[in-house]
Amino acid sequence: MAWTKEEELRLRKVIKDSGVNLLKENLVQGTWGNTAVRLDEDHMLVTPTGLDYVALQPEDMPVVQISDTSVWSDGKKPTSERKIHAAIMADRPEINATIHSHPVWCSVLASARIELPVMSDEMQKLVGGPARVGAYGLPGTKKLKEGTVAAMKDRNACFMANHGVFCAGKDMDEAFEIIRIMEKSCREYIKQCTLKMTGQLEYSDELLFDYFVSKYGR
Amino acid sequence: MIDDKIKETVLSYAAKVVAEGMSGRGDRIAMRTKDGFCVNDASVSLDALTEEGLVELPLTTEDKEYAVIGRLFSKRPEVHAVLYTHAPFVCAVARAKATIPAVLDDMTQIVGLNCKTCKSATADDLVNGLKKRNSVLVPSGGALTVGRTMDEAYTCALVLDKASHAYVCGSVLGGNKLINCIEAKLMNIVYQKKYSKVNQENISKREGE
Repeated sequence: MAWTKEEELRLRKVIKDSGVNLLKENLVQGTWGNTAVRLDEDHMLVTPTGLDYVALQPEDMPVVQISDTSVWSDGKKPTSERKIHAAIMADRPEINATIHSHPVWCSVLASARIELPVMSDEMQKLVGGPARVGAYGLPGTKKLKEGTVAAMKDRNACFMANHGVFCAGKDMDEAFEIIRIMEKSCREYIKQCTLKMTGQLEYSDELLFDYFVSKYGR
Repeated sequence: MIDDKIKETVLSYAAKVVAEGMSGRGDRIAMRTKDGFCVNDASVSLDALTEEGLVELPLTTEDKEYAVIGRLFSKRPEVHAVLYTHAPFVCAVARAKATIPAVLDDMTQIVGLNCKTCKSATADDLVNGLKKRNSVLVPSGGALTVGRTMDEAYTCALVLDKASHAYVCGSVLGGNKLINCIEAKLMNIVYQKKYSKVNQENISKREGE
């Protein structure tokens, strides 16, 4: 064990707070989404599977081995998506915190499986370029893990097809900045596409709804 | 007499629906009780709901304002909470009388393989539209969502709202790429029978059922 008990306790609280903050900032619904923080080069703390963030306690977070995620101790059963968090941490030594979630606007692009172009200097700085879409795979599968790792190459965020978004930072604060800029950029991109498709100059939800009804209405 | 914990749960989730911008004219929030179900009085909107605005009715009620809810609780013994809400993107799909296909995996888990707009707002059509689903859209209205707990019915409404965003916005993004039917079914079964089971049992105790 290459970390102190004090550091572990601090990081357990970071994970607990990250779950609550995802809920507070409207970046997740229900029990979906999971986060991880690195303890050392081969260990991380992750959120457990299937429990609501409000009820979770810092001591519930299991310690998972990065090189073999079937090995875990303390806490409750880890999230089935731990393999993705571990694969990113193994691939990227500078990454110490990861978030996987399903915020609304990111989910829209994940569902359309569209790459998000760079929308601002802030997005370029935080994400590192256009956000790609990883190959579709069922939750917890090798296909989903490999698709996400490939889409994260030289990036700090990517979409997971029909699923959500994955973000990685040097710490949890940075990972939150990244998920926030992804959500904001997706919203802006959808507005721009609405104006382009309708030929109008000013966006409103009603404009989008009218276009949708004219195209999909029965 | 309505249990205090149930009253507290209904009022707190009514406030959440309002805070999330999912409320509108004709909203309903209902929870199963020992003798039937408790629901907001049809004349009281969710943003003005207090304990005095709650009524308890038998499952067999024939009052047209509440009969659908009684029928749902009778037909689906596992259902303990019903919501009728009006999130703007959901209402846009209901206005188009469209069916939301399997656009997102959490939708397939909690809402169902798709979410249809039913033919009419009659009790028969709505109850039929909820077969093997936890949500149905009312033509030119809002969304009826159900759950094993109020928390699950509320989460279902949130996830449906997100799926509606994906589907509506997909129209300006060149369309959605859909999850295939077999994978959608698999995710639905795993969620309902395994992933959420313990969590829903814990929440059920907290909500006073």
